Amino acid sequence: MTPMANEKTGASNFPGRPAASPFAAAPPTMTPFLSSAPVVGSEASGYTAFPPARFNVPSMSSPPSSYVPQDVGSYQNFPTSHFPPAQPVPPSRGTPVGQPGLSPSVLPSSGQQILPPPPVSFRPQPQIPLVPMGPPQNVPHTPPRGNVPHSSLEPSFPASRSTMQPYLQGYPNVQANPASQVPSARSPFFAQQGGYVPPPPVAAPMGVNPREQMQHPGAVPPVGPFPGLLEEFQSLSFGSVPGAIDPGLDSKALPRPLDGDIEPKSFIEKYPLNCHPRYLRLTTSAIPNSQSLFSRWHLPLGAVVHPLAEAPDGEEVPTVNFGSMGIIRCRRCRTYINAYVTFTDGGRKWSCNICAFLNDVPGEYFSYLDANGRRTDLDQRPELSRGSVEFVAPTEYMVRPPMPPLYFFLIDVSVSAVRSGMLEVVANTIRSCLDELPGYPRTQIGFLTFDSTLHFYNMKSSLTQPQMMVVSDLEDIFVPLPDDLLVNLSESRNVVDAFLGSLPSMFQDNVNVESAFGPALKAAFMVMNQLGGKLLIFQSGLPSLSIGRLRLRGDDHRVYGTDKENALRIPEDSFYKQMAADLTKYQIGVNVYAFSDKYTDIASLGTLAKYTGGQVYYFPSFKSTVHGERLRYELARDLTRETAWEAVMRIRCGKGGRVTNYHGHFMLRSTDLLALPAVDCDKAFAMQFSLEETLLTTQTIYFQVALLYTSSSGERRIRVHTAAAPVVADLGEMYRQADTGAIVSLLSRLAIEKTLTHKLEDARHSVQLRIVKALREYRNLHAVQHRLAARMIYPESLKFLPLYGLALCKSTPLRGGFADAQLDERCAAGFTMMTLPVGRLLKLLHPSLIRIDEYLEKGSVKADDFKNFSKMLPLSTESLDPRGLYIYDDGFRFIIWFSRMLSSAIAFNLLGVDLSGFPDLSQVILCERDNEMSRKLMGLLKRFRESDPSYYQLPQVVRQGEQPRESRLLLANLVEDQNGGTSGHVDWILQIHRQVQQSA
Amino acid sequence: MAWDLFLWLISFFVSMALLAVVIYQLICLSDLEFDCINPYDSSSRINAVVIPEFIVQGTLCALYLVTWHWFMFLITAPVMYYHLRLYMKRQHFIDVTEIFRLLNGEKKHRMVKLAFYLLLFFSVVYRLVATAVISLFDDDDIRVPESRVF
Repeated sequence: MTPMANEKTGASNFPGRPAASPFAAAPPTMTPFLSSAPVVGSEASGYTAFPPARFNVPSMSSPPSSYVPQDVGSYQNFPTSHFPPAQPVPPSRGTPVGQPGLSPSVLPSSGQQILPPPPVSFRPQPQIPLVPMGPPQNVPHTPPRGNVPHSSLEPSFPASRSTMQPYLQGYPNVQANPASQVPSARSPFFAQQGGYVPPPPVAAPMGVNPREQMQHPGAVPPVGPFPGLLEEFQSLSFGSVPGAIDPGLDSKALPRPLDGDIEPKSFIEKYPLNCHPRYLRLTTSAIPNSQSLFSRWHLPLGAVVHPLAEAPDGEEVPTVNFGSMGIIRCRRCRTYINAYVTFTDGGRKWSCNICAFLNDVPGEYFSYLDANGRRTDLDQRPELSRGSVEFVAPTEYMVRPPMPPLYFFLIDVSVSAVRSGMLEVVANTIRSCLDELPGYPRTQIGFLTFDSTLHFYNMKSSLTQPQMMVVSDLEDIFVPLPDDLLVNLSESRNVVDAFLGSLPSMFQDNVNVESAFGPALKAAFMVMNQLGGKLLIFQSGLPSLSIGRLRLRGDDHRVYGTDKENALRIPEDSFYKQMAADLTKYQIGVNVYAFSDKYTDIASLGTLAKYTGGQVYYFPSFKSTVHGERLRYELARDLTRETAWEAVMRIRCGKGGRVTNYHGHFMLRSTDLLALPAVDCDKAFAMQFSLEETLLTTQTIYFQVALLYTSSSGERRIRVHTAAAPVVADLGEMYRQADTGAIVSLLSRLAIEKTLTHKLEDARHSVQLRIVKALREYRNLHAVQHRLAARMIYPESLKFLPLYGLALCKSTPLRGGFADAQLDERCAAGFTMMTLPVGRLLKLLHPSLIRIDEYLEKGSVKADDFKNFSKMLPLSTESLDPRGLYIYDDGFRFIIWFSRMLSSAIAFNLLGVDLSGFPDLSQVILCERDNEMSRKLMGLLKRFRESDPSYYQLPQVVRQGEQPRESRLLLANLVEDQNGGTSGHVDWILQIHRQVQQSA
Repeated sequence: MAWDLFLWLISFFVSMALLAVVIYQLICLSDLEFDCINPYDSSSRINAVVIPEFIVQGTLCALYLVTWHWFMFLITAPVMYYHLRLYMKRQHFIDVTEIFRLLNGEKKHRMVKLAFYLLLFFSVVYRLVATAVISLFDDDDIRVPESRVF
C-alpha cells in the first residue's frame, strides 16, 4: 500500500450524481426547443439567454417561478467556486431564494484540484460556447439514452443535477429537494442545460479510483448532505492492522514543514483590499455562520495580530492626514473608514462595513461616484484602496500632549552583575546607542542602580559629572530630587556619556550580594510616573531585600505532578502584579533582562513585562565573553527599534462576531481595549472570536485592528488594518481555509496560559486533544464515503498541524517534568512565546537543521550558491550523518554540531582547536579565523541572521558524544525523536490516529 | 427579652450593611463590564470593602453561635466558610490584571452571596418583628400563645 496518497476526489465520484445525466441532453434534437436550432450554437445561446428561453418554450408546464431563480443562482455559483483566481464577488449580491447558505464568494482553497476551471464562465456570457464541457463519452458505464423522452420524469435528473452542483461543493444547507425541482425541470431546456453542465473531469478520477465508483451505482438520487466533495485531502495509510507493532507507517512520508512558515496567499488574492497577512492572520479565513458550525470547529477560532510588523522596503504603511476634517469614522460603531466601505447616494453617504450604518460624507471628503459606484478619487486615497493605513490623529485623540520617548534603566550592580561582565556590556551598549535612540531631540533618559541600597544620579545638563545620591532607607522610599533624575538626552549628553563611561569602574570592587529590587522598582516608578516610557530592568540575582523579596523555589522535584505544580509558574508575591498594574496605568512598559546562573524567579519578574507589553530576555549563566555579543545586539535592538508609546489597541469585528479572549503581553483596560504602554515591531497578539448571534446573515465579516499610539517623533497616530473574511455554512470550507501558522500560534498561547493554572501534563494533553478532535471532525466529514477506515486523513491546509503539535508539547515551556528544563528557562521561554509573531514561533517550534560541511568545502562564497547545498532536514537523529557538520537554527541560537568522524581539518579551521584533544567546547567562541572555510561559515551565519533581525542567534558549538551538552542543546530539541519518555513523530501520529478513530 | 431584641436589631443593621456591600461590589463589576469605570478604580473600590465585609460577616456568624441561634448560624456559616477559604488561598482580593478574565466568575459568586444575604435579611426581619411584638405584648402583660400573630 502506498504510504501516502493524495486523495483527489472530484464531483464525479459523487454517489448521488446520476450517471445518466450527461446523456440526458445528448440527443439535442429530441427537445422541441433545440430541434428548431443549430445544435451547438443555439445551445450556447439558449443557455446564456436563459430566462427568455424559458418563456419561449411552448411546451413548458408553467414551473413555479421561485424555482427558476434558484436554478439560476446555483448554476451561476457553481462555476464561481471553480475559479481559484476569481475576483471577489460583491458580497452584497442577493442570494437566490431558497439557498440561504450559499455564499458566492466561496472558493476552493488550493489550485491543486483536479477540476480544471471549466471555461463556462462565471456568469453566463453569450459569446462563450459551452461545447468543451464534459464530453459524454467519458462516462463509460452510462447507457446511451438517445431516446430520452423529455416529457416525463426523465429530465428531473438533469435538473436535480444542475441544482446539485453547488451543493456538491459543500453546501449542506442548500439541500434542494430533487422532487420539488421536477416541475421546473419539465422544461426541455433544463434537460439541455443539465447536459452541458457536467464538470469536465468526469472520466479522470474514475479511472484512478474505481473503488469509489463501485460504491455508487449510477442513478441513486442524492440523500443527505455530502459536503466537501470537491475537496482535496491528504491521507496517511497505516498497515492493514491499525495498531500493530510495526504499523508500516513510513516516517519519510510524513509531512514536514521544511520550507518554514508560508503565509496564506490565497486569502490575500481573493481579498486584495485586505491588509497583508503579516499584520493579521486568521486561524481560518472562513468564519462559521452559526453556533452549531462553530461548535464543530474544535481548533481555536481567532486571529494573530502583529500591528507594527516590519514591512519590506516599498510596502510601508501609507500615512494619511485628514487635517482639519478629522478622521472619518462610523458614527455608531466608531469604525475607521476603510477600503470596504461602500459609498451611496451619489457619494454623499457611506455605509459602514462593520455595522452597516449609513454615515454622511463630510463636505471636504466628498467625491463623485463613477458608473460602477466607485469614487473617482479612489487612487489618491490610500485609506480606500489599501488594507493597512496610518492616520495622523488630531488633538481629540490625546489626553495629554504626546510624550517624548523615555528610557529609564534600572541596573543591578551587585557582585554577580559586575563579575559576569554584564554591567560593562550594558553600559557600553547603551552608550553606543545614545545617538540612535528614537525621537531626537525630545528623548529623555535616566538611570538608577541598586544593590542593597538605591543609587540615584543627578544628570543636570549644567553639571560636568553626574552626582550620585544613595538612599538606603528601603522601607520608606523617597526620591531625593524632584527632577533632574530624568533628563533630556540631547541637553545632558555629556553628563550621560560621562556616567556610562564610569559606571563599570564605579562598582568594580562592589562586594554587595543583596538585591533591593522591589524598592528600586518602586523608586523607578516614582521617577517615571509623570511621563511614562520604557523601563529596562537588568537583574542578575534573586530580589532579596524588603518589599518584593522572593525566595528560592522550584528546587523541589516532588511538587511536579501535583496540583501545586502550577504555583511555581505564577508570581509568588502579589507585589509584582500590583506593580505591573500600576506601571501600565502610568504608561510604563517594562523589559526584563535577567542574568543569573542561579534561580531568579523569572515567573515573578516576568509578570512585570507581561502586563506592560514588554518582553523578557533571559541570559542564563551570563558571561560577557560568551554571551556578550547577544546582549549587545538585543539591547541595541530594544533601544533602537521603532517603538509605539502610550498605545491602546482595539479590534472591531463585524456584526454577529465578538472578540472574546486576548492572549499576549498587554493589560486589558476595558473588555476590548488593550493597553500597551510601549509596543514595538516584535510583538504579536492573539485573540479568539465567538459568535454572538446563533446565525450570521451576512456573507462577509470584517475585522479592523486599530492601534492608537504616539510615535517616537511625537505624533499621535492610528494604525488601522482591515480584513474581510467570508462567512461560510460548511465545515469543509473552514478546514480548506485554515491557516496552520495562526492555529499553532493560538494553541501555543493557550497551552502556555494553561500551564499557569494546571499541570504541564494537562496543558500538553489539551493540545493533543484539540488536534484529535479537529481531525476526528474532519474524518467524520469524509471517511464514510471514502472508506478510509485504516487511513488517517487530514486537510491539506492542516498537514503540518500534528507535527507542530508534537513540537509544541516538546517545547521548553511545556516539555517533560522537573528535570527536563529549569524552571526559569521554562518561564522565560513561555513569556517569549507569548509575544512571538507567527513566523518566528513556527521557526522556534520546528527549527531548521542544515548540513553545511559540503558547502564549506566545495561551495563558493557567492550568496546564492548556498541554496544548492542547503536542504532542511527532518529533525531526528537519523538526519545526522556521523561524518557531517550541521547547523541547527531555531531563530534564537545556532547550534553547530560537529560529528565524531568529521575531518579534523574542518574543525581546526573553524574553531582553531583540535577536537581530538577533547577541549571544553562550551568555552570555545566561534569567531572568524583567517581561512576561507571560517569566513564562509561566518558569512552563512550572517545571512541566517539577516533573515530574522529581532534576536541575535548566538552560535554554540557542540561535538557528537559530548554529554550532557549534546543532549541538552541538540538532542532534546530534535522533535521527531523519541527521548525522555516523549513520543517520536511516528508514535505521535499513530497515537493521534488511534484517538481519532476511537468513537469516531 | 430585651437582649434578644437588641441582638435582632444589630443583626438587622448588619445584614442591611452586608447586602449594601455586596450590591455595591456588583455595581462596580457591572460598571466595569460596561466600560463606565476603569479596572484600577473598580478593583480598588471592591478591594477596600472586602476585608470589612469578611470581618462583619464573621462576627455575625460567631454571634449566632455564641447566642445559640442554630438556624441563623446555619444560614451564615456557608458564607463564612467560603470567605475563610478565599482568605486562606489568598484570592479574596480582585486581581486587577486579570479582572476581565475573572469578571463573570466574580459576578456569579457575588450573586450567590447576595442570595444568602437576602435569606439572612428576611429571616432577621421576621425574627426582629416577632421579638418586638412579643416584647411589646410582654410589656402590656398580655400573654400571647405560641401561635404568634403571624
